[in-house]
Amino acid sequence: MFITNLYSISPQKTFDNSFFDGEVKSFFGNKYYVQEPDYSALIPKGLLRRLGKAVKIGLGAGIPLIETKKDIDGIILGTATGGLNECYKFLNQIVKYDEGTLTPTSFVQSTPNSIAGHLALITNNIGYNNTHIGMGLAFESAILDAFLLFEEGEVAKLLIGSVDEASEHNYNIENFANYFKSIEIDSTNLLNCDSQGSVRGEGAAMFIVSNEKENAICELADVHQFTYPNDKNIEKRAIDFLEKNNMNIDDIGGLVLGFNGDNRYDFWYNDLINSFPETNIYTYKNLVGEYPTASGFATWLAAHILAGKIIPSEAIYKNASRLPQNILIYNNYQGTQHGFILMKAV
Amino acid sequence: MNKVFVTGMGVISAIGNNSAENLKNLRDGKSGVGPAKYLKSNYGKSHPFAEVKISTEELKARLEFKNKKGLTRTDLIAFTALKEALIDSNLTAKEISAEKTAFFSASTIGGMCHTDELYEDANLISSGSEYIESYFLSTHALKIAKEYQLSGIVGAINTACSSSANSIMLGAKLIKSGRATRAIVGGVDSLGKFSINGFNSLQIMSDIPCAPFDANRKGLNLGEGSAYLVLESEDIIGSKKRYAEILGFGNSNDAFHPSSLSEDAVGVVECISRAISNAQISPIEIDYINAHGTATGNNDITELIGIKKVFKGFPPFNSTKSFTGHTLAAAGAIEAVFSIFSIYNNELFPSLNCNTPIEPFNEFPIIEHKSAEIKTVLSNSFGFGGNCSSLIIRES
Repeated sequence: MFITNLYSISPQKTFDNSFFDGEVKSFFGNKYYVQEPDYSALIPKGLLRRLGKAVKIGLGAGIPLIETKKDIDGIILGTATGGLNECYKFLNQIVKYDEGTLTPTSFVQSTPNSIAGHLALITNNIGYNNTHIGMGLAFESAILDAFLLFEEGEVAKLLIGSVDEASEHNYNIENFANYFKSIEIDSTNLLNCDSQGSVRGEGAAMFIVSNEKENAICELADVHQFTYPNDKNIEKRAIDFLEKNNMNIDDIGGLVLGFNGDNRYDFWYNDLINSFPETNIYTYKNLVGEYPTASGFATWLAAHILAGKIIPSEAIYKNASRLPQNILIYNNYQGTQHGFILMKAV
Repeated sequence: MNKVFVTGMGVISAIGNNSAENLKNLRDGKSGVGPAKYLKSNYGKSHPFAEVKISTEELKARLEFKNKKGLTRTDLIAFTALKEALIDSNLTAKEISAEKTAFFSASTIGGMCHTDELYEDANLISSGSEYIESYFLSTHALKIAKEYQLSGIVGAINTACSSSANSIMLGAKLIKSGRATRAIVGGVDSLGKFSINGFNSLQIMSDIPCAPFDANRKGLNLGEGSAYLVLESEDIIGSKKRYAEILGFGNSNDAFHPSSLSEDAVGVVECISRAISNAQISPIEIDYINAHGTATGNNDITELIGIKKVFKGFPPFNSTKSFTGHTLAAAGAIEAVFSIFSIYNNELFPSLNCNTPIEPFNEFPIIEHKSAEIKTVLSNSFGFGGNCSSLIIRES
């Protein structure tokens, strides 16, 4: 499938051209929150006031891409947790009011499918609509879903995307599970700090994908996933994936890797770099933080690299002297869920 | 495109801890809706629920998971149904963990059924409960992946109340496309304060046993349960028992309101029509409809309007939610299993508590257990967010 348009709301100023103009934000501490555009032209004021962040950034990134209401044949999103803040808001109300009379606004927005539902509602789209919530592979599953739909031959254009929001309450939960660094550091040092845990990011990345090459920015060629691998041979898995696509290591000009500064899991990326000695290496979690569907941002970044955009040096880890024709994205979440996404220039 | 057959099923709900018990109670017209025994919620006193009739501790003991920490009621209910499905399909450990075996599950509440623990953990009142890594909606799927060493595609869906219909659809698609030869698919939800208060805030939770398709229906009863189906490609199936074929599926969005369906049933008509077209059959071939039939004011009339538009009249239909309550993300899978019971045994189960049919249709659902030749079934699932899904299942 081909990416014909894309949009990202992230902790960087990606909703306009600032990020590519070199305006790169750094963060101190464990929380990287999104920088949001002005939604007033996109979302009616009355509705906007009631929306939680996940639905808001999902709509904010998705609506600009849906040119007319009949333009796309379906909406497929990946979100591990959907409206977390609304979820905890409702939870706290349950306890505070001892299960008294509550308003449903937060409850309705707490279900992950609320984002794709609202997108369908606002754009009056009665097409295929699905929401994948498989944590660190939710976005990869959404891509797979889109491939299946295109192969059935009944759709021409889809909106696919990733959305996850950070939440203070959820930060507490994940902190108990040792997801985060115990000391606060600057994002410019995140990838070389050699300590346990990462930082919490958030964001929405949306893509119009088409089965036609016309007006394409790049090709989203294939996706692959595996969970709880019983071996750590990432090189073999990458080569197998490339072979399935009639490619080998030499064909890959760029790797976009999910390094997140957690020394328990970053070896996966280092192992892969060793197998691709000549390849440009790009990183992004030092810019947007770690979250389950961060590979959506990686896909957004890779698409821009393939389109020939000059990207900020903060996203370049190694090499980058030549323009890649093919990019392999590799991401893992907490070392248990692993995904490859293969992208090609057009 | 490869044909997709169901070779194993497992189910746990308020009407039984396995397939045989569920089947018996459907035949006997015996509902599982009633006073909750294990639920911790104020609404347990004022409202009936369709609770799984075993304690969380007992579920754990039966699975021989005694020493495992952090397993929620949702996890345990899922493992119970899954185990039955895997045994029923006679799968080896190697077949289950093969790369060409996909797994898609669904949940709308996940580990949030432990609402009080979540509250204390999230607000730093506790020092971290054993459920810290168990609250997410997909946790049960990851725990299953770890336990059974699944090496293929592992995914989870949330489209609210149509979630597991979509996990069945995706499993079937993966097999049809050749990406998988086998898919284990289904969903789970358990009762908890979170969903109970959510549905109560929407004022659609009935304080008496639900009456799907009755003119005086008062709303839904929440239930809990899980079902998993083993789907296999005709290429690998050999001489194995085949319960039924997953013939087609349709998915649409009603695009009307965040938590109710449009009066003209746009999404309902679309998903049923797409399923029929995907299955390459004509509407007249549908012998029976397992309706979504939540017994809310909005759902049942809209579903009837949608059925009338597609079929012109009404094929025999029922809502088995009058037995199991609304099991949310498990509903699509549980109702697929019940639909397969009807096909495999050539029988139809009653829909309970409908005394006065809805105007202007005046159509009663199936009111008593009876034998009937059932070849092709439509199973509907509709959810908040406008998510509509239909499955078409056929005798094999």
